[in-house]
Order: sequence, then structure tokens, then C-alpha cells
Amino acid sequence: MPREQMPEFSSSVKLKYVKLGFQYLVDHFLSLLLIPIMAIIAIELLRMGPEEILNVWKSLHFDLVYLLCSCFFVIFISSVYFISKPRTVYLVDYCCYKPPVSCRVPFATFMEHSRLILNDKPKSVEFQMRILERSGLGEETCLPPAIHYIPPTPTMDEARSEAQMVIFTAMDDLFKKTDLMPKDIDILIVNCSLFSPTPSLSAMVINKYKLRSNIKSFNLSGMGCSAGLISVDLARDLLQVHPNSNAIIVSTEIITPNYYKGNERAMLLPNCLFRMGSAAILMSNHRSDRWRAKYKLSHLVRTHRGADDKSYYCVYEQEDKDGNIGINLSKDLMAIAGEALKANITTIGPLVLPASEQLLFLLSLIGRKIFNPKWKPYIPDFKLAFEHFCIHAGGRAVIDELQKNLQLSGEHVEASRMTLHRFGNTSSSSLWYELSYIESKGRMRRGDRVWQIAFGSGFKCNSAVWKCNRTIKTPKDGPWSDCIDRYPVFIPEVVKL
Amino acid sequence: MGISRQNRVEVKSMLTAISSKPSRSGQVHTFSALDNAVTPHTVHVIFYYPRSPFKSFDLDSVRIPLSELLSMYPPVIGRVNKTQEGILEVKCNDAGLRVLKAKVSVGIDEWLRSADGHEESDLTAWEDMPEDPSTWSPFRMQINEFEGGGVAIGLSCPHMHADATTLTVLLKSWTEAQRRQCITQPPSFFPMPYNLTDTDAVNSDRDSFSKPIAGPVSTKTATATFRFSGSAFTRCINEHSIHEISPKATPFDVFAALFWTRVALVKDKSDRVCLCVDFRRLLSNPLPYGFFGNALNFSSLEMANVVEVAIGHVARLLNEHVSSLNVEKIRSGLKRARSQEKMYGKDLTIVNMEHMIVEGEPLMYQAVFEEGVKPMHVSYRIGNDGGEGVIMVIPSPEKGFGRTVSVTLPEEEMSKLLSDQEILRLEPEVILKGVK
Repeated sequence: MPREQMPEFSSSVKLKYVKLGFQYLVDHFLSLLLIPIMAIIAIELLRMGPEEILNVWKSLHFDLVYLLCSCFFVIFISSVYFISKPRTVYLVDYCCYKPPVSCRVPFATFMEHSRLILNDKPKSVEFQMRILERSGLGEETCLPPAIHYIPPTPTMDEARSEAQMVIFTAMDDLFKKTDLMPKDIDILIVNCSLFSPTPSLSAMVINKYKLRSNIKSFNLSGMGCSAGLISVDLARDLLQVHPNSNAIIVSTEIITPNYYKGNERAMLLPNCLFRMGSAAILMSNHRSDRWRAKYKLSHLVRTHRGADDKSYYCVYEQEDKDGNIGINLSKDLMAIAGEALKANITTIGPLVLPASEQLLFLLSLIGRKIFNPKWKPYIPDFKLAFEHFCIHAGGRAVIDELQKNLQLSGEHVEASRMTLHRFGNTSSSSLWYELSYIESKGRMRRGDRVWQIAFGSGFKCNSAVWKCNRTIKTPKDGPWSDCIDRYPVFIPEVVKL
Repeated sequence: MGISRQNRVEVKSMLTAISSKPSRSGQVHTFSALDNAVTPHTVHVIFYYPRSPFKSFDLDSVRIPLSELLSMYPPVIGRVNKTQEGILEVKCNDAGLRVLKAKVSVGIDEWLRSADGHEESDLTAWEDMPEDPSTWSPFRMQINEFEGGGVAIGLSCPHMHADATTLTVLLKSWTEAQRRQCITQPPSFFPMPYNLTDTDAVNSDRDSFSKPIAGPVSTKTATATFRFSGSAFTRCINEHSIHEISPKATPFDVFAALFWTRVALVKDKSDRVCLCVDFRRLLSNPLPYGFFGNALNFSSLEMANVVEVAIGHVARLLNEHVSSLNVEKIRSGLKRARSQEKMYGKDLTIVNMEHMIVEGEPLMYQAVFEEGVKPMHVSYRIGNDGGEGVIMVIPSPEKGFGRTVSVTLPEEEMSKLLSDQEILRLEPEVILKGVK
């Protein structure tokens, strides 16, 4: 009915302008308040005339002691302010690992290996095929060399060899890009959830690059796909305590030892989604880096839902009935992820949202509590707070769920979807591949704010907010350099295998 | 294999090598009539190198050029599929090339000295197409590491997919990609010229899925390889005065004639042979060396009382036959091929590989991974042959008139041939004949 649509359309347009006006009013409330005050003072001054102004000035009795005390007071307050201000933590640069083409896993190869290895369990093979068809992965994701064998050979040597390959390549690239000398690294944090040998992976890095003996090294394991942001949080805290320091964070997940060899369906899922990848990040608090750093860390919020049993057990590593170890993903993973996200954005909202959104949220909250619980909860519009979103590419379902919950457009989640397509689920390093995608597309401008959201076992939801420090030119190297022109691609709902 | 000897080749692991770029979806490679005609057979090529270019193979620098090369050969990494009409074709789905890694318990020189044909067949994968070929890799590569260095790279595939020239060019292109050089014989997938293709629809009921007879027919066969130098050729020419009868005799003609007559002697009768010639360069519009598939002409030759005829006459017959091959003869050869069951070995078969010599250099010996490390030997084997025997005249590593002749015969006939004086007089180096 065109008639009915017209009033609807015009009313929605009116609503849009009302909303815009409201936002502008509340966001710039203080500045808007200043205008009438300045106007009144100006009028008053003009009214008084130059002689009266001079008389008022003389009556203030400025003598030396008074002047000196005021100066000291001002200096004291500014010193306290500067000393207690947290050090700015910069992200100087980062590098993502690009696997060699010989590690590629086309769908046909994955399904063929699955059939050959699980040849007496056709239902499990069928299940894997259905997962792969709907996964959102492309034909260029990579698995480590040991998994290309029939059957896979996940020995400890192979796992170490994969770790060396992914970590050292990323770090070599980072050193080259940032002109950093290995002996200048003060803090080293390596996070890899499922592979934790002795000596640790951080010790492996120190041994390879001959780092200093008084380095502060940490190795985080078992913390799931959100460990990347936990490492950033740890680096930030350390950089507050140690002045003029460099911190290197290596985020990775080693696939070799964790390939599930059984046929329990819920545990076959990670085989289909997890792929090889890593990222090396350089953070520092040197004042001199404020010109060359790419980003400044604005906020980092960690939310842990482990106190709730359902959340704790939803991603659980266990043995199946044949004794094969694998990761069991529960069916309510999406619901739990949604809960964790809500908890996280309740904390981060006040830190990043403009005042108008916060006011609306507060009003809707009051309304629901006092007047009518049936009112729809107001979901703040996070698109006003951020220009770019990096949602952990845990799987297509995660990205779809978050897109729905935060009401994001296709372009906002493009980085996540394309990273899932090109690199698969690389666990903690996927956020960095997504950031690299946005930079490779030339969309990152100075002042842009980026929100990285990661989920992990436990169940945790961690988010980091970065502010872009300088407009980033499209990089000539990096994991996307040879394929960025082909993206974005259309990813069908189901790929026919 | 009467002696139960301990297996000296042990296959340790199996993996799949992938192409570097996804292929166009829906690409399909169809088989020609000639491809279907050679269906019962399998073809195997083994390259022996004194020094292995591989270390762990997983992280070697040769892997990326291999992946890039496989992107150029979609049918090599595809899988066989039966269409609704029952026709076989290759679905180019990027599934990959199967690679087997094996270890040999002896050194390469000891192997060449003491291994026989059956042992050599352990160096490549011998499998027939299963009932359901959707997860079966038609092309297989086996990397055999010898004690003390040395490696043998075996490539095998059903003859339906490709001939020996295609496999040789495939490996040679890999070495060129690895040395960052231009690939001199890039693959060409254009179908054969119209005037050669059979217009009848290709029917695969014949014996596409019937299990071919595994291994040799009923008699046990043995293989030996005779390496003749250039001076052996000159000696042969002089001793048998070949140039008086056949002044244009090429090394192939001479050695093929020599072996035909000597084998006919041990067989007691072999007036008819089947001659197999590659016709890539014989067409008026020559096919490139990179032509992917089969381009072989099988034709019959007869000479009465060949045992008593002078070698010169046999050489002349062979020479005239080969030089007179033209499109018409190739066409009729193709038509006849459809009605035959086995192309190799139904009669004594002589395989001509002179086309592999390009500008004086043998193609297969240019497959060099590291500078200065040429293959020390290249073997060609045909699987499921008819049992009468196969003689292959292969170029030698050195330029010139020398040739390597590989002979497969029933066991008793082979043992007689190995003590034949006419052959031994030319002082060949005999390898891969086993030890008695």
C-alpha cells in the first residue's frame, strides 16, 4: 500500500533527523553550554567599556606572594596529573604469518583424507562434509605439513617444527619491518593454547634470537582463542611499570598435536575449522614511537564467565570413549557467547559510547526497571563508537551472531568473514589478520577507532579498543598482499562439495 | 620370484602434495580413443640421482615449485569419475598428487648392480584403479632414499591418463621450476587434431572397471638393462656392415634390429613385432612435447625368418617403417587400436624413444635439481603387458650414438639372452638384472 508506506517513510526520515539532532545535542553538550556563557561574557565586556575593565583588573590586588602561590599551585596540579596519567601504550607494528602454498588444503583433499582415515565411519565423514560446506572457509586455508600425511603424523618433533616455522617467520618479518634489534626486546609474551612443551615456546624464541638474559618472558597456555588480547593486557600492565620498554607478543596456535584422531562428532568440528597461522606484535611505551606507531591502545576489557558452570564446560578438552583427546564444543556455545558478549559490552559501553547513546541506554534501563519490564532493551549503536570491527573468526556462526546482536552491516564484518575464508580459524592470531585486511584495503585513517573482540574457552570475552595513530598506506607485503584484489568474495551459504 | 628375499624397499609414509592455486571449478579432462585403447597398462618412470635434493621433504625448497607446477597440470591432481553415460573422465578438483616416501636398505650403486626387475618395481607404486576411484590418486610419486645418499624418484600413472613422454616432461618441468628457469615444455591440454580423433563416441563398457590381470600373465618375467656406448654402435655397424645395406640406419634401428634378431633366437620364433612410436613430432602440425596424454602409434612389422636375416636388413625395415609414418598411417593405427585388448606385449613390442632427443640432448637427462647432479639412470616400465616381451630403446645419458636398451622377457628366455654372444661382444654395461 503506497499510501501507508509514504507516511511510514516520512515518519522514519523525521525520526532519523530527530535522532541525529538528539545525538549532536547530548554529545556536544558541554561545548554547546559554553556558547551562551561566552556570549554573555562578551556582551558584558562590551557593555562595560575599557575603563571599567581596567578598574576591575586593579581591584584584584595582584601582589607577588599571591602570584607565586598561584603559579606553584598550577604547576603542582599539572605535575600530579602527568605523573598519575597511565603511560600511553603504542602498537608500533605487527606481522602475520603467511603459510607456504604447499600447505594448502583444498576441500577435495580434506574430504579425501577424511574418507581414507575414517573409512569405517561414513556418518562421521558425512558430518565433516556438512560442516565444511557451511563453514565459510575457502580453498586456500593451510594446515601444517604433518597433517598432510595419511594418517597424520602428530609427533612432538613435528609440532616443534611447526612452531618454529610459524613463529620465527613472523618474527623475522617483524624485525625487518620495525628495524628492531633482538637485544632491545625487554618483554616477551608468547601465547599458544594447546601446545606447551618444556622448555616453553618463549624459551625457544629466546634461544633462537639470543635475547638478553634479563628479559621478562611469559608463556601463556591453555587460555583459548582469546589469549591474544590477554597477552596485550599483560603487556600493557608491564609497560606501565617499566618505562621506555619494548614488548613483543607472539600469538599462535599449533595445530599439529591437536588433530583429533577419533570419530566423536562434536569433537571433529575443530579439525574442520582450525588452521595454521600466527602473528608477532611489537608494543612499546617509548615517547619516540609516537610518530611511527600504528595504533594507541585506548581500552582493554576482560570478562570471564567461568563462575557459571555451563560456560565453564562449553569448550572442554577431554578423551572420547576410545581414548582420543579432542575438544568438545557444546551445543549452546552461541548462547553462551552471546551472554559473555553482553557482559563485556556492559563494561566497555560506558568507556567508548558517546554520551547520547549512554543517556538513551540509561533511560531505557530506568524505564524497564521502574515502568514496564516488557520494553525492548535499548541496544546501543556501537557503530557510532567505532569505525572498524575485528570479530574473532571463530566460525561463521559466531560472526553471524555478533552481526545480529550488534546490528552491524556487511561491511563492518567483512574483515572477519574474509579472514575466515582465506585463512580459516587461526585462533588467537585471527584478530591480527583481520586488522591487516582492513589496512590492506586502505580503509585505516588517522583517528579511526578499532574494536577487537575475542572469545575463548573458559568462557571468556575480551575486547580491545585501538585508536589509529597515523593513516596507514596500503602495505606492499603481508599476508593479504597477493590476494587482496580478489576480496571481498561472495561466500555462499552452502558450498557444494 | 622364486627366492624369498627380504624386501629391500620399505614404504615409510604417504602424503598428498597440493597445487598452489585453486583450479577453475567444473574443469573436466576427457579421454581420447587412444587413451582408452591403452587402458589395461600402467606406465612407470624412475629417475635415479646420485645425490638426493631432498632433506625432510616437508619443508624443502622443492615443495613450492612442485605445488606451482601441479597448478599447471589440473588432470594430474584430479580424480577419475564415471559420468551418467558410463564414460570415464577426470574431474579436476585439486585433490592432489599422492607422494610415498620409502627407504632402501642398500646404496644406489649396489642397487643398480644387484636389483632385478621385480625389485625395481618396488620403487614406484603399482596399483590398478579401484572400483570407486573417487578417493584414488591416479598419479603417484614415490621418493626412495638410498643408504649413503642417492635417491630414486618414481612416477606412475595408468597409461590411460598419460604416456612416458608426459611423465618425463612433468618431472623435468619440476626441476626447471625449482631452478627458477623457464619451463621449456609447458603442458598443453588441447585435444588431438581433428583428423586424428575418432568420431565414434567413446564407450567404456569394454574393460574400464574390469580388473586387469595383475602383474605378468602366467609366465614370470624378468627385466635387464643394457647400456651401450657410442663406440658399441660403431662396432656393431662395422661388424655387421650395416651401412652397406642401410646407410641411413639410426642407433635405434641398429640396436632394435640387434635385439629383435637375438630375442627371436631365444624365443624360437618371432617374425612379427609391434612397434610403438611417439607421433608428437611426426604430424604435419606437430604437437608440442608438453602435449598431455597419449600420442603413441602402435603398428605391426613382419619379417620372415628374422633369426637368419642379416641385421642390416632388419635395420632397414625398421628405418623405412618409422620414416614412412604419416597421418594416414597414424589414423589407421588408432582405428585398429580400439579392437585390441593389450597394446604392449601381445607380440614382442619394440618401443622407440628417439623423439626424446631434442637438439642432441636427451630430455630425461636434463631433469636436474642441483647443478651438476644429472640423473645417473632413467628406467621406464610398462605394467600389465601381454607377456611376449617389451624392448625399449632409450637415449643414453651422454650425447651421441649410445643407447640404453631395457628388455622384459619371460624368465627362461631372459637368462638365455643374458649370455648371448652377439650382444656381449659389444661390451654393454648390464644393470638391474638381479643376481643369480
